[in-house]
Amino acid sequence: MKNRVGEMRTASGLSQGDLAALLGVSRQTINSIENGRYLPSLPLALAIARNFHHCVEEIFIVDQES
Amino acid sequence: MTHTHLTGHRGATTAVLAVGGGGLAVATWIGGDHVLAIGLTAFYAVAAVAAYLWSGRDSDVGAIMRVGGDERQQRLDHDATALAGLAMGTVALIGAIVSAARNHGDIGGYGLICFVGGVTYAASLLILKRRT
Repeated sequence: MKNRVGEMRTASGLSQGDLAALLGVSRQTINSIENGRYLPSLPLALAIARNFHHCVEEIFIVDQES
Repeated sequence: MTHTHLTGHRGATTAVLAVGGGGLAVATWIGGDHVLAIGLTAFYAVAAVAAYLWSGRDSDVGAIMRVGGDERQQRLDHDATALAGLAMGTVALIGAIVSAARNHGDIGGYGLICFVGGVTYAASLLILKRRT
């Protein structure tokens, strides 16, 4: 599973700490999601998508190779 | 912009160390080993202060020590707890087997730990599976 969270966060001019505060999670969790080490729960994935005004599928992309 | 909002209670782990360590020290004192009791008191006092300081950090471990982490940190805590339980269960099982071999089948305290662990696991499965 790949994601565009880091790309969208940067485009929005937010730091990891800013996004974490908006979503009510830790900065470390945002970092882990961006680096693909942690797959967020459905509610958190939806919250991330809503924050960037996109669909979940546009942010979290199933890696065909895996 | 910097965010350092810390969730949970900073004194959570400190309280566990203070109460647990204090209880152990008092029991040791009552048991007659006063030197060890004083040593335990000093050890747990330092550990409690260290835990309080560490709990104030903006880190995964700090959040878990405050019992105030987000979903990923809670999962880390659950996974670590499960591994710790597995290690304790393994040691208890080996201890029960060794105790039975040495004491004519008496599994002693290790057996009690195995029994409590097994019953708790089975009861937890029955209760938790109804929730999902």
